[in-house]
Amino acid sequence: MDLQHALILLLAGAAGTCGFALLFRMRKKLIPWAVLGALLTLAVYVICLKYLHHAFFQNLFPALCGALYAEVLARLTKSPATQYLVGAIIPLVPGGGLYYTMYAFVTGNMDTFHAALTQTARTAAGLAVGIILVSVLMHQLRRRKWKTVFEED
Amino acid sequence: MTQPLFAASDVLSLAMDIGKSMIRCGAEINRVEETVVRICRAYGMQRTDVFSIVSVIVATTRDPDGKEVTLSRRIYSYATNFRQLEQLNALSRRLCASPAEPASVREELDGINRDPLKLHPTVCIGNILGAAAFTVFFGGSWKDALAAAPIAVILWLVTSLVRAHGMGKLFVTALSSATAGFLAIAFVKLGLADSAGMIMIGDIMVIIPGLTLIHSVREMLCGDLMSGLLRLLESLILALAIACGFAIPILILGGG
Repeated sequence: MDLQHALILLLAGAAGTCGFALLFRMRKKLIPWAVLGALLTLAVYVICLKYLHHAFFQNLFPALCGALYAEVLARLTKSPATQYLVGAIIPLVPGGGLYYTMYAFVTGNMDTFHAALTQTARTAAGLAVGIILVSVLMHQLRRRKWKTVFEED
Repeated sequence: MTQPLFAASDVLSLAMDIGKSMIRCGAEINRVEETVVRICRAYGMQRTDVFSIVSVIVATTRDPDGKEVTLSRRIYSYATNFRQLEQLNALSRRLCASPAEPASVREELDGINRDPLKLHPTVCIGNILGAAAFTVFFGGSWKDALAAAPIAVILWLVTSLVRAHGMGKLFVTALSSATAGFLAIAFVKLGLADSAGMIMIGDIMVIIPGLTLIHSVREMLCGDLMSGLLRLLESLILALAIACGFAIPILILGGG
């Protein structure tokens, strides 16, 4: 991947995240933080794209970084982590994969269909595992507080 | 009891309406359950049990005299609105710190829920920017991005005006996807854009239930298996409806 392609990915991804922040009615003051998260995730994604050759790992590490960024920022700004997480993860959502899978299926190209479906599933799994790892970590840290809210006899 | 005591039914009703509003603007389930429990406790209720999934909240609370009240709330549709979610969070935190008269809080809640504009221009701009930017992101040209924008406006109109759920939502999603696909191919046939596929990908990005999928993963992990599974199914079925919708114009007109 050349530098120009990488720059297009970063800029278009950041602009798209800004669009989603507006779409989800995020507070204007928080939008720059969401876009910064997207830039961070995309930078990691571009590096992974160059050095790793499996869709799962290409998406796992960016998702990890995005989720960590979201948790840290949520603590700093005292607002829900979901907002930043969405901003950071949106550019990695396999919209292209869904299209290519559907297109291959409709045009009856079964080999491409299988390849595209596998690729899309790997991408989604990489994202999910990245988010899961950070969530588990945060959940462990928060567990003591949890017990005081939900009590059982 | 040091705090003034309000009727258990009033307190629970208020707490659940706040919870319902939170689900309606896209909160995670554990946040909703925690909010209901905390508010009831702040108002002096002895214990509260709450169970919630994306479509229903059921809760029972017991007042200091031992009288129990059970209420439920049904939620039909939700749309992400972070601004409103933050206001609801702030409201519930304030109530937990100093419980106010339920009737006056209810007025404030109505104020937060009231959105005078059904068609919000900010959301429209978000749709356009999202679709155009992701068209370029996935390899489209600037002409493709320009073509994706008006289609995104149509998708915005449909998703804002049609408040359907269940089968209706699937049908509307598939139908608007098909319309978007026809328009994308039309733009290319008229020579206004280069690749119908890229335009479709950009527009798929703004209607694909990515947020629902993220929520689903997080909820299943936090132990809200029911809610997480429901959201997972919902996002898979919606993705299928989107794929079917875009498949129709490709089948009829060919080319992508």
